[in-house]
Amino acid sequence: MATISNLWNAVSYRGREGQIAWMLHRASGVGVFLFLTFHILDIFLMSFGPEVFDTLLFFYHQFVFKLLIVFGLYLGVLYHALNGIRVVIIDFWPGMAQHQARLWRVQMVIFALAYVPSAIYMLLTMFGH
Amino acid sequence: MQARSAARPRPASNFELYSWFFMRVSAIALFVLAVFHLVYMHIVIGLDAITFEVIAQRWQSPGWRLYDMFLLVFGWLHGTNGMRVVIDDYVRPQGLRVLIKSVLYVLVFVIIVLGAYVIFTFES
Repeated sequence: MATISNLWNAVSYRGREGQIAWMLHRASGVGVFLFLTFHILDIFLMSFGPEVFDTLLFFYHQFVFKLLIVFGLYLGVLYHALNGIRVVIIDFWPGMAQHQARLWRVQMVIFALAYVPSAIYMLLTMFGH
Repeated sequence: MQARSAARPRPASNFELYSWFFMRVSAIALFVLAVFHLVYMHIVIGLDAITFEVIAQRWQSPGWRLYDMFLLVFGWLHGTNGMRVVIDDYVRPQGLRVLIKSVLYVLVFVIIVLGAYVIFTFES
């Protein structure tokens, strides 16, 4: 119950850009962390030779996994990276804190320009043939 | 009226300050390392083309091994410190919080050792 009411508070709290940026940063950070756990375990399989490694790659070639890469991992890493740079700018550049909302909107434009074409390209190479 | 600096309690250690600074420094490093890694693996090479052979070939070069090592260490320290903050924010009972953070630190230690092991000892 506490979790549900906390979640509702988070969603209904009108913190605008700063709060949305923070929530997305946190969610994408945790998501990328969880993926990395699997990623190190799979790359560790390299020490067992090509048979083991290439056989287990089928997991990464699943339809659902490919969608998760494009709409989960890639999206999350790109957002977290850009928003992280915004945080660094705000913290180290005096006076930038008061422009945080505008910086976030600029960041989201950069995000869209970088993400949309590259995600389409990735989907085309994954499913195009 | 007390002066503001006198009213603010002095932290017992500088750990949180170093933690904050490390997150910013590693963020800049990871912005380059992680974004390039993703773009290179998924756009230049492509998910379906990644095989044992491709990675073995890449690890022929000490430069790539060093790159992957930096990515492993910076990525995991940055991610672990982030998770530490998230756990502190949401897990209220102290015993549970200590338990979850202990599991996190053990997991991270094992992961970094496994990753470093394969990066350094791999022979094709």
